[in-house]
Amino acid sequence: MDPEKFQESFKGLEAEVRKVIVGHNDTIRKVLIAFFAGGHVLLEGVPGLGKTLLVKTLSHALGVSFKRIQFTPDLMPSDIVGTQVLEEMNGRREFQFKQGPIFAHVVLADEINRATPKTQSAVLEAMEEKQVTVFGESHTLESPFMVLATQNPIELEGTYPLPEAQLDRFFFKLLVIPPTPVELREILKRTTGTETADMQEVLPEDGGQLINEMKQLLRQVLVAPPIEDYVVRLVHATQPQPQNAANSPVRQYLRFGSSPRGAQSVILGAKGHALADGRVHVSYDDVENVLYPALRHRMILNFQAEAENVSADQIMDELVKQVRRN
Amino acid sequence: MQGYLGKQDHGSPEDFVHRLVRHLRNQVLWDFLVTFSPPILAIIYLAAVLYTESWMPALPLVMLVPAIIVIGALAVVFRYRPRVPSIPAAAHLMDAKAEAQDRFITLTTVQSSPSSDPMLARLRREAMGTLSRVELRRDFPYRLKQPFYWSAISSLALIILCHLLLNGTLTKSGVSPQQRIRELAEQMSHRVPLAEIGRSLQSLADKLDDLKVASEEKHSLIEEIQKRIAQEQEREQEQNNQDLLSDASSTLKSLEQESGGQGQAEQQNAGGGVQSNASQEGHGEGKDSEGGGDESKGEASAQLNPDMKDGKSAQGNSQGKGQEKDSGHQKEQKANQPDPSNTEKTTDESAGKMKENAEGRSGKNRSDEMPKDGPPAERYRKPGEQGPDSIKGAKYVTVQLPEEIAADSSGVTAASKDGKESKNRPKVPISNVPLPAHLPEAPAEKQRMPLEYRDVIR
Repeated sequence: MDPEKFQESFKGLEAEVRKVIVGHNDTIRKVLIAFFAGGHVLLEGVPGLGKTLLVKTLSHALGVSFKRIQFTPDLMPSDIVGTQVLEEMNGRREFQFKQGPIFAHVVLADEINRATPKTQSAVLEAMEEKQVTVFGESHTLESPFMVLATQNPIELEGTYPLPEAQLDRFFFKLLVIPPTPVELREILKRTTGTETADMQEVLPEDGGQLINEMKQLLRQVLVAPPIEDYVVRLVHATQPQPQNAANSPVRQYLRFGSSPRGAQSVILGAKGHALADGRVHVSYDDVENVLYPALRHRMILNFQAEAENVSADQIMDELVKQVRRN
Repeated sequence: MQGYLGKQDHGSPEDFVHRLVRHLRNQVLWDFLVTFSPPILAIIYLAAVLYTESWMPALPLVMLVPAIIVIGALAVVFRYRPRVPSIPAAAHLMDAKAEAQDRFITLTTVQSSPSSDPMLARLRREAMGTLSRVELRRDFPYRLKQPFYWSAISSLALIILCHLLLNGTLTKSGVSPQQRIRELAEQMSHRVPLAEIGRSLQSLADKLDDLKVASEEKHSLIEEIQKRIAQEQEREQEQNNQDLLSDASSTLKSLEQESGGQGQAEQQNAGGGVQSNASQEGHGEGKDSEGGGDESKGEASAQLNPDMKDGKSAQGNSQGKGQEKDSGHQKEQKANQPDPSNTEKTTDESAGKMKENAEGRSGKNRSDEMPKDGPPAERYRKPGEQGPDSIKGAKYVTVQLPEEIAADSSGVTAASKDGKESKNRPKVPISNVPLPAHLPEAPAEKQRMPLEYRDVIR
């Protein structure tokens, strides 16, 4: 696959999703980047912003299988990964594995923070290992596999915030912001009339093969050593280490910095961003473009930051100012 | 520097970046050269100025200049090398200028591999497309940086400051001691109490200029005047006069230091004792001065001063040749100054005699007259007394006692006579110039009786 074809497919997907989703252009792009990078995305936003619609639309445009799991406190792991059920076959009763909704190319884990940690951890293995284990038997998930989880930053009663380990497994954490007035007008126009969007699948029937090629191409994108070094310095700067200045925001507001997965996400995300722009090399701008969604959920804020309402993005702003490009 | 900057044949993007590195390296080198050169040149210039003003010997200058140049070169090298832009830095600049979205930095830093070759080839093509946007000379022109301006301004300021300081010092100390002495003599001549010292200083300045005068003689003269100044300082009440005297004293001290005190002992010896005129006969009888011919009065000191051969006063002003009788009086007084044994009375007598001279008596006639009762040396001895061998057979002798002895002896005498008066009484006569009538409070004139007139004038 050549970069032009990648870009063409990518832009086609974006355009197709935009037929349904008004605004959220950056979110759409980042979700697509994460998809081709083989990552999972955590979408955070208040209810009613179109998170679920976005995921559904995306999976439709990709032409891949899509499942939705509504996470509730009483949701059990077996409800996600599947379970063994006793079935009678040819006069014999046997346990047969009944696949759960996790067995799809694109899985929407809606309001993932409402499920118990036990259930959340069931998704954990699937996200990282791309397989599930039921009764000691492992079942591989079909590629491409992507979990799109949503969570609501309000109504936190009765929720189980995702543990850091699980958060770290998300490639990006995207903030779904309310639409602008123009976008809202467009949303009203599209959803309150009789017209419905005529969506089409962008990728051909054998989309899986194409998607894999696109994923391969993404990993071939060139990254200059100075840019890699820039990413390393940025990720390293998120660590609240003693050598950091006492008054630096990292020392003040962070409990833990980003893991190496953060750096991986930045580089892969930057590569996807470059390819989406039709380039075969990563630029500094690509890095800074994906830096926030790749690191914001990996920087664990301390109590002081929450008390002072300091966000991870604000700390990232300071880091980008401090760390020179080369 | 400009050789590779001609109309550009854009090679590969990597080559272009390497050319840019060379271009920027030269610029950095120029930056450091132009920044370090002004202070180095300023220091060398100041060293040269100090050398030309004889404030610095040649050897330190010869060592200093190469040392400064070497230090400057080392500073350039050590400061220059870290500032030479790296290839990624140059590529980054290229990306910024060509808006190449980091294509150059990727091209120049990414290592080639089989999997990345197609990507690199594509990237190179893309970068080539942006090369036309950049021209080294246009987009990376050489500009003087702020450090150069600071360096140049500081160096100029240093040069100007040092010049001002040097000029100030030279103006103050650049006046030769002779000139300074002349200035002081001029100032003192307008002040009656100091007029005599002024004339002495003038005479000293003349002698200092005269290369024929021996350094020992100059030194003794300086010492003599210093002592007179010291005595005058003790007596002088007026502050301005005191200042002038102090100034003169310090100038003479500096002169004395310059002369290094060479031959001081010799000069002291030469200042006293009795000398025969056997070998110097007639030396004091030089030509008449144009002013009136009191030249013979200078005989006494003529032995000390070659000028006296010409009948000049030992302390007289060479310019005073042809001046009025005052110069003749000067000669008289100078000739008699060393004699400490003169009493007050003889001084008065001498003053009276001098007045007569001023009224028109020819000094020449007097000086030519020899005492009829034998040579003076013998006249001063009691009958049967033998004098020193050196003056035996001499027709006449000139006697000059060391000033210290003269001062001491006269002081002791005065003190023994009248202790109260001795405080105000000068130990050594200072002037034989008639006092102006309009200065009633001028100190009493002290004058010695010339030996020749000791028995003649009462």
